[in-house]
Amino acid sequence: MSPISYMELARKAFPDQPPYQWSTFQDAPLTPMKKALKESRIGLISSCGVYQKDQPSFDPNKNDLTFREIPTTVDPGELRIAHKLYDSTDAKKDANCVFPIERLRELEKEGFIGTFVSPAYSFMGRIFKRRELQEQMIPEFIRKFIENKIEALLLVPC
Amino acid sequence: MSSALDITRLVKPPRSVFLNFPLGHTTGRPFDKEGQIQILKRALEFLVEAQEGGGIKELPDVWSEDWEIKLMSGMT
Repeated sequence: MSPISYMELARKAFPDQPPYQWSTFQDAPLTPMKKALKESRIGLISSCGVYQKDQPSFDPNKNDLTFREIPTTVDPGELRIAHKLYDSTDAKKDANCVFPIERLRELEKEGFIGTFVSPAYSFMGRIFKRRELQEQMIPEFIRKFIENKIEALLLVPC
Repeated sequence: MSSALDITRLVKPPRSVFLNFPLGHTTGRPFDKEGQIQILKRALEFLVEAQEGGGIKELPDVWSEDWEIKLMSGMT
């Protein structure tokens, strides 16, 4: 069985709307890693709508341009998920399905990566305001990543 | 990470690792600590292994034999 065509699924799910204009890029410049993983500062960002129980939730529908900073030492029992557009049944039981903080902590302890940089970042998918995303949210993320000396970032979409 | 190969091919991030699991399991199965660790290790290794921009490493893990068929026919 070949992988699911999610673009086809999306077209079928919204038959009355004009086809979604996916972001497409022709090239993807590669910045080679300058260090070994075991010497690198690795960050985590996920679009799965995870937040800490004492933080504000997300708008579970669409166009929430806020994000949450979650300490990597967090107890996974304190995590909640606002996203409604994917099946989060398993992720609500074990956040590591979409927000692998415990596993990255273990990989740091094992020495597989140098440092798992705290905080990790979380936001919601389903953002259709592309300009605000690219001109406001992403530059703010990049400032944070530079400030925290993140050298490589694991992106986990949902 | 990617759960959607067709979208990732269009968006073309500098490096991607495709795991053919249902949405909501981007980095593995619930409570499968060892499986999650292996997925992350192979994903992180691609940071160093990748030779050209837009490269996609496909992980061999199988969720189940027929989950794609069930999803496409609306059974899940």
